[in-house]
Amino acid sequence: MSVPTEHVLALAAVLFGLGVVGFLVRKNVIIVLASIELMLNAANLVLLGASRHWAAAGTGQPTQGPIFALFVILVAAAEAAVGLALVIALYRLKQTVALEGVSQLKG
Amino acid sequence: MAETLFYVLAALALVFALGVVRARMPLFSVLSLLGSFFCLSGIYLLLGFPFLAATQLLVYAGAVMVLFLFVIMLLNLGDEAELERHAGLSLSGRRLAVAGASAALLGLVGLIASESAPAFAADAPPPAVALDDLDTLARLLFSRYMLPFEAASLLLLATMVGVLVLAKRQRSERAPSATGATTPAPSPAPEEIGAAR
Repeated sequence: MSVPTEHVLALAAVLFGLGVVGFLVRKNVIIVLASIELMLNAANLVLLGASRHWAAAGTGQPTQGPIFALFVILVAAAEAAVGLALVIALYRLKQTVALEGVSQLKG
Repeated sequence: MAETLFYVLAALALVFALGVVRARMPLFSVLSLLGSFFCLSGIYLLLGFPFLAATQLLVYAGAVMVLFLFVIMLLNLGDEAELERHAGLSLSGRRLAVAGASAALLGLVGLIASESAPAFAADAPPPAVALDDLDTLARLLFSRYMLPFEAASLLLLATMVGVLVLAKRQRSERAPSATGATTPAPSPAPEEIGAAR
């Protein structure tokens, strides 16, 4: 298939932008975590698109992309586990998942 | 054929991503995220990464998604109206969001403008073999990327311990919950959490 690399990168850019907006705008912790997952997926898409590009061009190291993507997936899974455990702890403390209810660290 | 499939999957992924950001209930947001993961997995497959497509499905759509749904069901986040009541966007947050979105849009415009750049001039032919051939990947992981690989295993171990510590009910918390048994609303939630753990 000959989808140009720009289109893959453009898709990743839009996905990342949506993730950023969700992260900054939403107040529900769970939706914020979902937005973070969206951003990590966009980063993976960039890695794989670049890897495919370098494989087609015959230069660079195309195997680095999948390996990095693998590590990103691993870290994302770990992050989701810790984040959701924090959500549970937060809910037990505050009985809410709204981020505005958590402002103890504000100076 | 594969090209049209790519564009269909890309459009679907965007629609689902929009659903993640716009959904009113966290359950719908997370289900949209699941759809987005599926579309991205198809795109990985089309790009020539079958192993990563399978990993995406296994880890994201399997494990992470179950975790999200588990927490949503566990916490019983039904009273969304109460949450939405004080979910109004602050002014600084709105400014930040607009700044982030415009930055992403600028990057997109830059990408399209750089279409004539020599780095992207090569038109990618279909990959003859899978780019993430398992044999190659495993050899690299256990030779050149040995240290990151071991660090990743340490990270997973630390995550496991950390999550257990975080989600465990503390001893000091047991006393107030026992005395506060007369209040009906908060007491079932820790019990459920303790039981499901």
